[in-house]
Amino acid sequence: MSVMTCADARSQFWLLEYGELSFDEEERVETHLDACADCRAAFEREKEVYAAFNTAAAEPPPSLLRQCRAELASRLESEEHSPAPDARRVFSGWWEQFTHALTGGFILRPAGALAMLVLGFAGARFMPNFLNSPAAGVTEAGMNRVRDVKAAANGQIQILVDETRQRTLAGGLDDSRIRGLLLEAAKDPSDAGLRQQSLSLLNAHAQSADIRDALIYALQHDQNAGVRLNAMTGLKAFAAEPEVRGALSQTLLSDPNPGIRMQAIDLLTQDSATNMDRQMVGTLQELMLREDNEYLRQRSQKILEAINASTEIY
Amino acid sequence: MARETGLDVQIDETALIRAAQQGDHDAFERLVRAYDQSVLRLAMNLLRSPEDARDVYQEAFLRVHRNLHSFRFDCSFHTWLYRIVTNLCLDQIRKRKVRKEEATVVATGEGPLDRLDAVAEQRADTDPERRLFSGQLRRRIKEVLNNLTPRERMVFELRHYQGLRLKQIGEILGTSEEAAKNCLFRATQKMRAALGDFV
Repeated sequence: MSVMTCADARSQFWLLEYGELSFDEEERVETHLDACADCRAAFEREKEVYAAFNTAAAEPPPSLLRQCRAELASRLESEEHSPAPDARRVFSGWWEQFTHALTGGFILRPAGALAMLVLGFAGARFMPNFLNSPAAGVTEAGMNRVRDVKAAANGQIQILVDETRQRTLAGGLDDSRIRGLLLEAAKDPSDAGLRQQSLSLLNAHAQSADIRDALIYALQHDQNAGVRLNAMTGLKAFAAEPEVRGALSQTLLSDPNPGIRMQAIDLLTQDSATNMDRQMVGTLQELMLREDNEYLRQRSQKILEAINASTEIY
Repeated sequence: MARETGLDVQIDETALIRAAQQGDHDAFERLVRAYDQSVLRLAMNLLRSPEDARDVYQEAFLRVHRNLHSFRFDCSFHTWLYRIVTNLCLDQIRKRKVRKEEATVVATGEGPLDRLDAVAEQRADTDPERRLFSGQLRRRIKEVLNNLTPRERMVFELRHYQGLRLKQIGEILGTSEEAAKNCLFRATQKMRAALGDFV
């Protein structure tokens, strides 16, 4: 084994410090250190430098970890209650392609004012396909349902058929037909994707009272967390309005999804200086009593403390 | 009681991953709990911002959740997870470099916080002179860390603060052990040069 020079040894100090030398290399440096007082002193100084690096080590506070875990849990829950990502992609792609095909892609652009609506009545039961064939005497395309069957006097059979026909309507939100159907679709209990898409189109027009009402209704009643979250997005700019604040307060106290409750408290306190009325204080105090989520409790507590309000209800 | 060996832990983890891949929520949560402290610490060290660290934490585990089905055990779960985290952190550091946003004081749930002062608070010295010195030293280290390239910063953090071996750092960053070693050498040289008059 060749003798190591001081320069060689010192060039290896950083690897020795990090334990990245091989057994043989480490042995050579340590043998040199045993024999060289100057290098031992130099290595001690080197170790001080590395110890100094440690003074900048960041250890996240436990509260941050708890907060991260709570947020992750709620986001995972929200994702699971939303349509599957693939389904969302398919739906979105289909919608985009469809509207693009119908409008050439440019009609939708001006001020986002134009909405396209295609409503299928999914609840209707389909008749067997042969009923749509000309031979059966029902030539109109559409979805059909047999209401009644009876034998006629001439030996023929009479079938009473309900027909649900599909139509495409196009227009802006200022068109009462479009607006009405969109508001109706936003409540369709059978299709969360349709409700979600409808609310997305309505969200940009929440300055209208009827649309705001629909968003509030969705926030308070929709079974799907993603739809409720979407409704809250539309209400964000109106969080100072009394009826919206009322709905958000109710959501904060009673929504089963902690992610949505977190969003609600954010909206309710986004202008905390101006909107911390007595009712809001009461809501936050009540939240302190009933909330299980630690992050939300802490948020509420900090807001109340910041305005010198009690964190308890007496 | 028999001691749990590394192999036991590995088998346990493999079983957890497979269960999580099948949609077992508890298994996924246990996986998260096994790694989330170190993920948050890494993000906090790299980004020096509780908000950014929180965002990286969320995004990293959401990506793991969405993509776990495609994890094929080609590497360890730890390496896979850290690859996601380090990529997110690198993106964030690069964005910051572009935006030149390196504010020292940030708002947190606990109020305004100096990124470096806060993390060293627990070790604060009672001797005023020593405390002053420690504060200056931390600020200098922060300046030097900010001046490292994103890659140097990453390798330095993974080696120095996370204690990972160069081989594993190479795997995480998709490079060789030798390249990681060179990167660490440059980083430590810069750090040492900048701290020369302090220590």
